[in-house]
Amino acid sequence: MSSFGLAWKTARRYKARAVLAIAGVAIIGALNFDMLLLSKGLLLSFADMINAQGFDVRVVGSAGLPAARLPIAEASRLLDEIRRLPVVEEAAMVRGEAASILVPGRPPTAGVLFGTDHRTGAGAWTLVRGTGFEHVRSGAVISTALASAFGVEPGMTLRVKGRLSDRLSALPPLDVTVTGVGDFRFEAAQEFIVATTLETLSAAFGGLSRDEADLVLVASRARVSPERTAAAIRRVRPDVRAFSNQDVVENFNRNNFAYFRQISTVLSATTGAFTFLLVATLLTVSVNQRLGEVAALRALGISRQRIGATLLWESALLVGAGGALAIPIGLALARVLDDLLRRMPRLPAGAHFFVFEPQALASQAGLLAATAAVAALYPLWVAVSLPIAETLRREIVS
Amino acid sequence: MTTIVEARGVTRLFPMSAGPVTAVRDVTLAVSIGDYVAIGGPSGCGKSTLLHLLGCVDTPTSGSVLFEGRDVAALSERERSRIRLIRIGFVFQRFFLLPMLTASENIELPQAEAGVPAVERRARTRALLEYVELAHRADHLPSQLSGGEMQRIAIARALANRPALVLADEPTGELDEATGEHIAALFDRVHADGTAIVVVTHNPGLAARARTQVAMRSGALAGQGAGA
Repeated sequence: MSSFGLAWKTARRYKARAVLAIAGVAIIGALNFDMLLLSKGLLLSFADMINAQGFDVRVVGSAGLPAARLPIAEASRLLDEIRRLPVVEEAAMVRGEAASILVPGRPPTAGVLFGTDHRTGAGAWTLVRGTGFEHVRSGAVISTALASAFGVEPGMTLRVKGRLSDRLSALPPLDVTVTGVGDFRFEAAQEFIVATTLETLSAAFGGLSRDEADLVLVASRARVSPERTAAAIRRVRPDVRAFSNQDVVENFNRNNFAYFRQISTVLSATTGAFTFLLVATLLTVSVNQRLGEVAALRALGISRQRIGATLLWESALLVGAGGALAIPIGLALARVLDDLLRRMPRLPAGAHFFVFEPQALASQAGLLAATAAVAALYPLWVAVSLPIAETLRREIVS
Repeated sequence: MTTIVEARGVTRLFPMSAGPVTAVRDVTLAVSIGDYVAIGGPSGCGKSTLLHLLGCVDTPTSGSVLFEGRDVAALSERERSRIRLIRIGFVFQRFFLLPMLTASENIELPQAEAGVPAVERRARTRALLEYVELAHRADHLPSQLSGGEMQRIAIARALANRPALVLADEPTGELDEATGEHIAALFDRVHADGTAIVVVTHNPGLAARARTQVAMRSGALAGQGAGA
């Protein structure tokens, strides 16, 4: 009989202990798995969001990250210069301004007027119904949240008014024709978006708006790396900052998501310690209950290696079974927690705190395997180092 | 006669917080092929300790134990373990069968450890089950066996690798008189089939069957005589 076979039969023989260990590891393992998903979840979902737009380079006005409101001056000239670069396939300018949405019979509702010169919105949304705004004068695509909140559908008119944060506004409202409804990746909860052309955006501000952009999105030509494109843009316009998507994600990772990594590291270490304590305690108790049996086996000539291997397998079986159960439990729990956390204000719709990735699964497996091995060390040492004669004598006396 | 194991002036001290305790004191004893030795004496006189020394599970504080001519104290734990596996069979008072294994699996275990091929060890296990008259209990777990049946399975396990010597520590200690008698008869058969036996026992009926009876008192040999 192999060591694995002995371990399997032992686990089956002591069912209550096995079930307790497996359930414990499953629950603790699920929490650990969630911590692993949390450690990179926001970063991965953020990377997905910006990569899904179809542009691989982002240009902003000055130091800082593209999420910040750092306007680019003389944006039209910059866009022309970028479009002329041989490494560039296409470029789009986007700009967001605060706006009020005016619906008869309701108080003005705060929203964002999003302007772009890109015909399909620079990948900021996915159309759910209707069409884009490019063929309709003062056309607009609105978010699904806005459409359902106010019962607005394609073909209807929506009244918006630009809001100037630093001065009193006497701007006249502007009527836009809703051409489509879309899912906006960066839309925050309760933050209604109206997307339109830059001209309509300017008109909403009475034509007073400056030639500014919040962001220029650039797509590199095939076989051109985004880093090369970003470098070419920086050479042409040293006054702006160009980042590849990868740079943006890395910047976020360094500066904005360190909390999640730290929290998840602390909680992972804690759950790992609990797994270790649970399995080590159960195995140690189990070995202590069977000391006579172990001593007898060694008296019969069963090698230390065989006894040690059996214990290691037993630990691996308990942790492995619990670890396998931990994955679906962890995924279900992550879904619930993600739904709760995503209710936070001003969080983009496409952002997720818990994102599955194969590497998390590999890390989970590695952590559990290491825990199983470490947890088996003490009981293993007890089993292989026990004095045979003394243990047998104690067993008889007791 | 060829000597299997020989204790030469063996002493075993156990260090205790209240001072060392001498469990075995200057014992000289040889067990040869064909021997059947019963060791008797009051509780705590060192019988089991002597048995452990003869069975290579312990080493003496002074003196020497030679197993088939090799000084046990000079052997590594791995070598001693190998001797116990191949050359010695142990029978314990409390049987110590693995509770998760069936009777036949318990008998197969030492053979598997010794590297006996599966076909051969199954045949050997069947033969041993018949030898102890428990072939019909092959697939039963120890919890489904009586005390006497468990001890017979333990004896079959002790014989699994065809040892030269069987060491039994109070093999009837947990059994009633009739069952103990059955076990004693089984030991007679094992001995008659050519295996040397050393049995530690308080059971006069079992001791009387041995060819040599050794009495111990306070760790020392107090007398030796011929038995059956």
